[in-house]
Amino acid sequence: MKSTSHLSIHVIGRVACTAALLLIVMVPLSVCLKFDIFPPMKNFLGGFFQAVMIYLPISIAEFLTFVPILGSGAYLAFITGNLTNLKIPCATIAIENAQVKPATDEGEVIGILAVASSSIMTTLIIFIGMLLIIPLSPLLNHIYLRPAFDNVLPALFGALGAYFFMKQWKLAVSPLVCSILFAFIIINFTGIEFTSIQGALIPVLGLISVLAGLAFYKKGLITGDDIK
Amino acid sequence: MNYLEIANSSFVFMVCGIVIAAVLIICCIFLVWAWRRGLELGISRETMLRTIKTSMTFSIAPSIPIVIALTAMVGVLGIPFPWLRLSIIGSFQYELMTAQIGATSMGISNLGGSGYTAQVFSNSMWIMSLGIIWGMLFSILFLKRFSSGLINAQKKDSTRIEIIITALYFGMLSVFVGPPVVSGGIQLYTLLVSALLMVLITQLTRRKESSSAGDYAFTLSMVGGMVFAALWANLI
Repeated sequence: MKSTSHLSIHVIGRVACTAALLLIVMVPLSVCLKFDIFPPMKNFLGGFFQAVMIYLPISIAEFLTFVPILGSGAYLAFITGNLTNLKIPCATIAIENAQVKPATDEGEVIGILAVASSSIMTTLIIFIGMLLIIPLSPLLNHIYLRPAFDNVLPALFGALGAYFFMKQWKLAVSPLVCSILFAFIIINFTGIEFTSIQGALIPVLGLISVLAGLAFYKKGLITGDDIK
Repeated sequence: MNYLEIANSSFVFMVCGIVIAAVLIICCIFLVWAWRRGLELGISRETMLRTIKTSMTFSIAPSIPIVIALTAMVGVLGIPFPWLRLSIIGSFQYELMTAQIGATSMGISNLGGSGYTAQVFSNSMWIMSLGIIWGMLFSILFLKRFSSGLINAQKKDSTRIEIIITALYFGMLSVFVGPPVVSGGIQLYTLLVSALLMVLITQLTRRKESSSAGDYAFTLSMVGGMVFAALWANLI
């Protein structure tokens, strides 16, 4: 029974991802057919390979980083997007609140419930935003409100960071120190916009964090009790 | 025909609407599967309902910047296509960057500027659509083997796998903590206020096994941080 259900989520996930891929391709294809505006193949391929060179390595690293956290919920998360700012925090909070563990059957169920409900809510909010775009635009960009929305990420990651630091500070120290060090060097000495390389830094800090965590575990500085 | 007439045409609205509706149906299928599987595993209905409610509530605040991104994108790419891209798969930074690649590969330097014709718009659409399909493609090809391997490894040495997963999560989380700490100013104060609120709420709700304040601690802390940012920027 258990293995049948586990198999079925992979069947559902694969079918859903295939359907989503076809639908995504259908959009530019149908628009180009309807209005006869196909771009020249040479220009398309040039742009496509440029995008591939930027996003393929990031996507490989994201896949290796996010699948262990989300499990089978990653099928839906990759379809619906907004992973770092929404789906991953949402799933980890849900797993934490339900007191289950990731990479277990229970953790996967809670993760999928969280990713699916989060996606539905976000889609509805964007839909409402799209319908009311003219009256909403000045309100959302209002001088009094804009700072609140510009600072969603510090507010989100401040709360998440504090909670997990309180719980598992030994694991949190290494990536936090490295992140501050990287940010200090990048912001002060390279002139690179930090947000432009944030995606690429996630797997780098993930790897540092894992190596440090495993080294602490090997030396007995972290035990099973520390991560309960 | 001006490219924005095509970009805002009822046809593009219809096509994008169909895709978003299909993705919503996919979400519901996953939701139903997880609910049934949860019952099989003995997870209580109450726990699962709480998960759905808190996940939905939590998602409201981080969704608003996506709407703001939509308002910024409609001027250059029309309403329906950015609506589609931000509802599924994409993110603001990615979408504008790939749209720009679509324009430059057609020899146009400015997105939506002079020379940005319907054909250039279609090239942007193609690059945006195909440039970031990798997560889904890898999921189709490798996710089953990868996640099954993790579950098996978890059964063998659960502590080791828990350390790896938690460490990966901390790696991701840290990326967003470093820059405000270094830059200082409103970003750092917002981060500190929401962190402080989180500590306070956790301490206050610690003794209760389950409380709604505990369930919504992240949402309350995050919104508290955002309110502080608005007050700080306008009053101080």
